[in-house]
Amino acid sequence: MAERVASRRKSNSGSRYMDYSLLFIVLFLLGFGLVMVYSTSSYEANLEFGDSAFYFKKQLGATLLGIVVMMVVANIPYHFWERFAVLGYAVSVVLILLIIPFGYEANGAKRWLRIAGISLQPAEVAKLGMILFLASMICSMGKQIRHRKGFYTVLAVPVPIALMIWRITSNMSSAIIVMGIAILMLFVSCPDYKRFIILGLLALAGAALIVFIIVKMAEGGTEGLDFRGARILAWLDPEAYASGKGFQTLQALYAIGSGGILGKGLGASMQKLGFLPEAQNDMIFSIICEELGLFGGIAVILMFMLLIWRFMVIANNAPDLFGALLVVGVLGHIAIQVILNIAVVTNTIPNTGISLPFISYGGTSVLFLMIEIGLVLSVAKGIHLKDL
Amino acid sequence: MKEKDYFHRTFHRNKTVAVMFICLIVFMGLIGRLVYLMIFQSEYYTQKAKELHERERTIKAARGRIIDANGEVLADNKTVCTISVIHNQIEDAEEVIAVLAKELDLSEEYVRKRVEKYSAIEKIKSNVDKDIGDVIREYELAGVKVDEDYKRYYPYESLASKVLGFTGGDNQGIIGLEVIYEEYLQGEAGTILTVTDAKGVEVSEAGEERVEPVNGQDLYISLDMNIQSYATQLALQTMETKQADSVSMLVMNPQNGEILAMVNVPEFDLNNPYTLPETVNTEGLSEEKKQELLNAMWRNGCINDTYEPGSTFKIITAAAGLEEGVVATTDNFSCPGYIMVGDRRIRCHKTTGHGAEDFVQATMNSCNPVFVTVGLRLGVDNYYKYFKQFGLLDKTGIDLPGEAGTIMHKKENIGEVELATISFGQSFQITPIQLAVTASSIINGGRRITPHFGVRVANTDGSESKSFAYPVKENIVSEETSATMRYMLEQVVESGSGKNGYVEGYRIGGKTATSQTLPRGSGKYIASFLGFAPADNPQVLAIVIINNPQGLYYGGQIAAPVIKQLFENILPYLEKMDYNSTKSY
Repeated sequence: MAERVASRRKSNSGSRYMDYSLLFIVLFLLGFGLVMVYSTSSYEANLEFGDSAFYFKKQLGATLLGIVVMMVVANIPYHFWERFAVLGYAVSVVLILLIIPFGYEANGAKRWLRIAGISLQPAEVAKLGMILFLASMICSMGKQIRHRKGFYTVLAVPVPIALMIWRITSNMSSAIIVMGIAILMLFVSCPDYKRFIILGLLALAGAALIVFIIVKMAEGGTEGLDFRGARILAWLDPEAYASGKGFQTLQALYAIGSGGILGKGLGASMQKLGFLPEAQNDMIFSIICEELGLFGGIAVILMFMLLIWRFMVIANNAPDLFGALLVVGVLGHIAIQVILNIAVVTNTIPNTGISLPFISYGGTSVLFLMIEIGLVLSVAKGIHLKDL
Repeated sequence: MKEKDYFHRTFHRNKTVAVMFICLIVFMGLIGRLVYLMIFQSEYYTQKAKELHERERTIKAARGRIIDANGEVLADNKTVCTISVIHNQIEDAEEVIAVLAKELDLSEEYVRKRVEKYSAIEKIKSNVDKDIGDVIREYELAGVKVDEDYKRYYPYESLASKVLGFTGGDNQGIIGLEVIYEEYLQGEAGTILTVTDAKGVEVSEAGEERVEPVNGQDLYISLDMNIQSYATQLALQTMETKQADSVSMLVMNPQNGEILAMVNVPEFDLNNPYTLPETVNTEGLSEEKKQELLNAMWRNGCINDTYEPGSTFKIITAAAGLEEGVVATTDNFSCPGYIMVGDRRIRCHKTTGHGAEDFVQATMNSCNPVFVTVGLRLGVDNYYKYFKQFGLLDKTGIDLPGEAGTIMHKKENIGEVELATISFGQSFQITPIQLAVTASSIINGGRRITPHFGVRVANTDGSESKSFAYPVKENIVSEETSATMRYMLEQVVESGSGKNGYVEGYRIGGKTATSQTLPRGSGKYIASFLGFAPADNPQVLAIVIINNPQGLYYGGQIAAPVIKQLFENILPYLEKMDYNSTKSY
């Protein structure tokens, strides 16, 4: 047995597998994202900076940098990173804490750190750190994870990070993603189903209860509700809150609904002309729908479905559990973020600020996503072609 | 060891596949949501988005003018401004609110509500004087738009106010001819549709959609400004000297129903129709009460109010009697000063009695017992038949809104006493216009004409003219009866009770009336006179009704001289104007 493993490692270093399907999907999404960023931001960029390609250029730079970083990471054996797992967790905590004294605000939320002239979202670091730390931890736990103690230990690991992201940076969606990544990784590494079904049902019941309580409270007047409560009310009836919390959602719905089946044509969106806030950012999907119609919207979703399918293939053929868990973590991160973004934009869930991976404008986001893709490609390189 | 475990345990793989399928199912759900939004809800959101992106500005159509028989413009348009705000272009909301509230004389709260509303364009006030609009324009406030359009303007202010009527804020007719001829006068508003970005800046590639307004058509009416002015003067003078509550005058062509003048003093200023007379103390009045007073001020007594016509109605009784053959001009009567009907004693206005008289003399004397006798000879059935035949039960169909109907006994409720009182014009009510039209029909040879102002409508450049035709009911009395009536009524003015209406050099026919207003014994009277000329071929008929005069109240004494004065002035004028031949426009 040991021989077989050894020979596998040997052959790995010889003929290296490159998952070109995954690479193609990612590059396609990035290219498409750049086109859409230019389309959605040019009008505002021209008004604000006198340069219609302002956002496009910044995004192009981040994307190119991301591709370089991805290639570098893809060529480093992924086990190299295992030794940084604890450090990654600690760095995440420190960076988030640094926001309290040094963070700066944008769009009404304090989420960014500026290090050497580059702005960075610690939440993005934390997502990557969490994937790495949990993969390493679950591997070292072995069968312990099947016991109650092990299970709850793993479940407890992301909680402090998630809480900090939520409370310090007021970024609930990133907190949800961090928790979601952890739960998915735990789900995959545990043979049990029952616990997860109960956990899922409890989460659903809890969410329903919160909505119910807020609606009941609202009947007695909206004074006692904080802005998250108001978001839930705006979600239930955006037109009743058209000038407040429901504004962005309603504008997104106008964009999506007015796109129709075939859309208005690339570049022909009306809603991006200042009506829809954050058009090139969190709300970019609604402009895609407006310009490219239902077909464009579904095409984007299909691309993400393909991406997830590739992740699944790579995870299930990964040479070891550590590699598989890394890929599952990345899968979880991207899947949850895409689902949350599209669900928010279509008013399927209450509004929470979250970007669409690879497509939305945002340098840190693209850079860290590309690191993750690099990791996945690195894991894919460990696959022996015979195993496929 | 770890890795060995890994390869033997397939649950990892199964679970990864499960994760993928969960994700794919959620994605399918989101696709379903997209399909719902983009196919089934698409129309709704497209409409909403269009409303948000398109800024619509209306271009008012110029309302058609109202022009009198001489070509004088009685209702015109003048330029005014509409002030609106474009929410997204406003830079200093507080300043905008302060300036608009001050210059437009509006409450700050009212302006604030509109300025702060999130909409493409919001109207603050329309019909603002051009001067004020220019002042606001000079502030050069970002986001404030001053658009010019038209406002109704009446050059002669209160002249024929209750006939012409006025228009509201959206240039729609409120009362009078402005209401009846709305469809011709109004025209069609045009629109400018522009697509704008969120700041309200027009998106040039989208272009603008422009629908040109269609201006309203001019309305040409039969009213003659000169006659109307003179009649108004006379009416005002009469109201003042007799200290009457109100005076109404009506001048019409009995041959075709064209109305030359319709005066109801006091009139009101058409350019300020919501201003009550200064004599009315509006302080502490509720809005409802104020509206009531305004409605009373706007009332056109000639058509909106009914009264007991009194002796002028003897024209109808005489015509019915002659037509039915129950009386002839040569019939002899004797008036002892009263007549017994059943157990009632109905007095003549001359209590000592007129003595022996024939029917012509009885008409000249306006002798009640004789007309009661004629009425009783006709009987209820016949009287009611003629009442109906003359058109008294129907409205005249005049082209003004709110014409009042006749208030008459039901046929089955008419006994001898009621019939007797109806015969000399009491116990029922008609409008002045009804009396004028019925009398016109009896003296014009028996053609029941439709009274009207509207002659034709035409575009300002004269194209697309349309003349109005009005129904005429022929043979309501015979030509012979009509001739007899003209003769008898000429006698009334020649040497009877209406001799104060005589105009030298003209043949005038007429009838006086003095009626008591209800409730009886209140001491309030209505004095009236109906006159026409020339008596042998009437071309003009006039009525004056003096409501509650002080001192003398007999129609022959105070009303007939008014018509005399009117005729002295307008008969020579009408001859010059060639009204005696059929008028052509």
